[in-house]
Amino acid sequence: MLTTVEKIIFIILALTSVGFTYHGFKTIFDSIRKGRSAPELKNVPINLVKAAITVLFQRTIFKARKGLSAIHMGLFFGLITYAFVNLIDVLEGFVPGFELIYGGKNLSNAPTGLVNAFNLISDVMSGFLLIAITVFFVRRFITKDKALMYRDNVLLNEKVKAGAQNSDSLTVDVFVVMHVSAHLMTQAFRLNEGPDPFMPVASFLNSIFGASQTGVHVAWWISLGWVMFIIPYLSRSKHTHFFMSPINLGLAKQNPRGQLDPAVPLKVLNGNHHDPGAKHIHDLAWTRVLDAYACVQCNRCQDVCPANFQGRPLSPSALEVNKRYLLKEATFGSHPDRLLLPLTETVISPEAVWSCTTCYACVRVCPVGNEPMADIVDIRRRMLIDGAELDSGVQNALQSLATNGNWMSKGKRLRGKWAKDMEFPVKDATAEPVEHLWFVGDTASFDERVVPNTKMVARIFNQAGLDFGIMYKEESNAGNDVRRVGEEGLFEQLVEQNMAAFGKAQFQRIVTTDPHSFNTLKNEYPQFGSQWEVKHYTVTLLRLFEEGKLTVKNKLSHYKVTFHDPCYLGRYNGGFTAPRKLLGLLGVEFIEMPRNCENSFCCGAGGGQIWMGKVAPGERPAENRIKEALTTFGEGASGKAQLFIVTCPKDMIMYSDAVKTTGNEGKIEVRDIIQLIAEAVGVEEPKVAEAVPA
Amino acid sequence: MNIVVAIKHIPSIADDLPVSGNNVDFDSVDFVMNEWDEQSIEQAVLIKEAVGGTVTVIGVDLIEELDNALHLALAKGADKAVKITADEPGADSHMQAKWLAEAIKGMSPDMVFAGVQASNDIDGQIGPILAAYLDMPYIGGTSSVEASDGSAMVVKEFAGGAGAKYSVGLPFVAGIQAAPKPPRYAPISKVRQIAQTATIDKVEPSGDASGRLSFKKMAPPVVTGHAEMIEGSSKEVAAKIVELIKSKGLA
Repeated sequence: MLTTVEKIIFIILALTSVGFTYHGFKTIFDSIRKGRSAPELKNVPINLVKAAITVLFQRTIFKARKGLSAIHMGLFFGLITYAFVNLIDVLEGFVPGFELIYGGKNLSNAPTGLVNAFNLISDVMSGFLLIAITVFFVRRFITKDKALMYRDNVLLNEKVKAGAQNSDSLTVDVFVVMHVSAHLMTQAFRLNEGPDPFMPVASFLNSIFGASQTGVHVAWWISLGWVMFIIPYLSRSKHTHFFMSPINLGLAKQNPRGQLDPAVPLKVLNGNHHDPGAKHIHDLAWTRVLDAYACVQCNRCQDVCPANFQGRPLSPSALEVNKRYLLKEATFGSHPDRLLLPLTETVISPEAVWSCTTCYACVRVCPVGNEPMADIVDIRRRMLIDGAELDSGVQNALQSLATNGNWMSKGKRLRGKWAKDMEFPVKDATAEPVEHLWFVGDTASFDERVVPNTKMVARIFNQAGLDFGIMYKEESNAGNDVRRVGEEGLFEQLVEQNMAAFGKAQFQRIVTTDPHSFNTLKNEYPQFGSQWEVKHYTVTLLRLFEEGKLTVKNKLSHYKVTFHDPCYLGRYNGGFTAPRKLLGLLGVEFIEMPRNCENSFCCGAGGGQIWMGKVAPGERPAENRIKEALTTFGEGASGKAQLFIVTCPKDMIMYSDAVKTTGNEGKIEVRDIIQLIAEAVGVEEPKVAEAVPA
Repeated sequence: MNIVVAIKHIPSIADDLPVSGNNVDFDSVDFVMNEWDEQSIEQAVLIKEAVGGTVTVIGVDLIEELDNALHLALAKGADKAVKITADEPGADSHMQAKWLAEAIKGMSPDMVFAGVQASNDIDGQIGPILAAYLDMPYIGGTSSVEASDGSAMVVKEFAGGAGAKYSVGLPFVAGIQAAPKPPRYAPISKVRQIAQTATIDKVEPSGDASGRLSFKKMAPPVVTGHAEMIEGSSKEVAAKIVELIKSKGLA
């Protein structure tokens, strides 16, 4: 079809395009390779294949925004189809007489059925592509979906602030429309023998514009010429997403969710001094530099971020887009010097760094396997080492943890005081062998609001004949949140203290009431030599019921309850079923909140937030959660007490407060699951002895 | 600028304070650095950062556990650490000040800082006694000390919010109330690294002094009665309060 001159021009154009594209991606890969070493990735080829399958079925995007995800899926299939369509278009241009219209009847031995099928698919997909791109265009530019925007207080690269993402989107929108329309027109202009039933859209266009050889040439050039420009452009825009997201997904975090990357990668540490954490972008593990290129700023992470919800200046997505623009300005632009600016000036504000609750919702929801939360922890780590001024509450907590092993400035000897006040002896696991070592945690040991529940757990364990003990003054804070605040050295100190205490004790497994302790004991302590099985008390309690050691005497059908999944039990460790099964056994009326299990909404206390001296303004995540629970219960009194059930000492505090601050006392009550179990199995607090009159 | 910071190790009150005989039971109590000394260290390090110099931290090792406090000070920016190996947990301010003075004399300091007071005796004596032994002027209750051309600008804040600025000739002793910035956090990895590598100079206690005070009795406060919590709705509570007031003959 093409003339010789046209062919030469196209080949020159194609080679130029390949050159620019190669340069683009080489620049990107060089930049990624400068990142620090990441934890070892195993079975990379298999994981890349798995990622390709995931991408093919678009599995990960459906975790949120189902409708838009379906449109995305259409767009994805459309573009995949177009890879083949473009190939055919090139062949039609270069091979004289090669045409697929009318089932390829001008070709000798053409598989007519296959050709018709291909024509139909590409024709219909073209139409779908146009619809999908229009939906996305309308969403961004006409209805201006707020989900695509950032709060004013979020640190943004100047280019992003000036709308660089929108111009990227517009460029691709226009490209798709032009490219697809031009391709359809190419086919329409070819149809010189009337409509082709397998090309309904092209036939329709043909009925308007007719057939024309000149038209074929012009449309062909518009369709294919564009591609030569757009491919190199993609390597310089947010649409690197097309190529990098499957790769990123294949190279995503492999160790457990609850196991943070070490502060200093072991490979780097080998013989060389290296400050922990990240000050500059290439202090981040290379897999997390790659994150920036995989992100297309869909902002699903921002939607689920409790800090962003509250109006704090954190947006995980802004972090990624800022990273990419920083790299872009340094590699494609003329600002390599900016790579040496602190990340806290270029990609995320210090306030935003300290807003993160480490709830993992952003990482969980990300369709391309990004880990913005891990970046934040790395940035915290370096800020701490570099002596950045800390929130006074956090500093006090850390200082107390360093001297007392707890964040409440209480002496070590007071840790087991609650147990000494019990009506029966609680074994000291460091003095006599026990089957279950109960790791109590700070809040459950010291906080007056939680201690009654702690005592109740002891009573229920005792009632069930569970052989358990605690470590009294030998127990230190497990360090989960210390590590997530970025104080790696203190975390290691606490681990050593606890490991030394475990060494003194004889036990078979660890049981915890605190999901945060549970997480680090289960996922991180093994790296420091721990080899014990770790259970959350909900699992232990369920087993006691299943073994008949606890029995429900009173069914609690007078309660209407909902359950809040703690981040570190649920999203991090998949502990969804035990609490729900327990509630089922107790006979309560159970209603699930819309945000449950993996999609549970953080209470706002994690990652050191509970220590903060400064209270951020705005509706707190816990307050929003209480409202969600009340909406779930619905209007109208059912005559049943409405309970918000928790299985985390921090939740007990956060949500009890939130009930008060939202003025919902009397409508909903926060209870630890142990309180319901006590009522159901008939264990009561001993009556306080009347004061003997003098 | 050669700055010496004298610190004091005192019994921790994170636990219930154990009492034995007529004094604290020193065998079963943890010791911590006096909180005002943390302000002194911060103040000294701020001056060093501003004009250069060395910061030496010195303290009396009462129970052979002062090293942690000294390591912490080094991690926060002090250059040298010295401990006076006394092993006398009950040593009072007069005694400690004498030992400190003897050790500091040879250091030819430009400034000597001590916390304005310590919560174990609330005496505020170490600074003034040090100044007397060292024959230097004393200024206490500072909220900021700045070095400037052979002298120092010292800010004090008085009750009611009034502040005063002094020019003080070197050398001098200051009782630090607060540093201009909150004491910095020392990352534990740094503290632990220092604990492995740092050397702490040891000095024998020299001299003798006494405030001629001795403990007659020390005891936890005697609980004389409990508060009665009135429960019920606001109306019921109000009614009970009225009833109580009447029954006590107050209305």
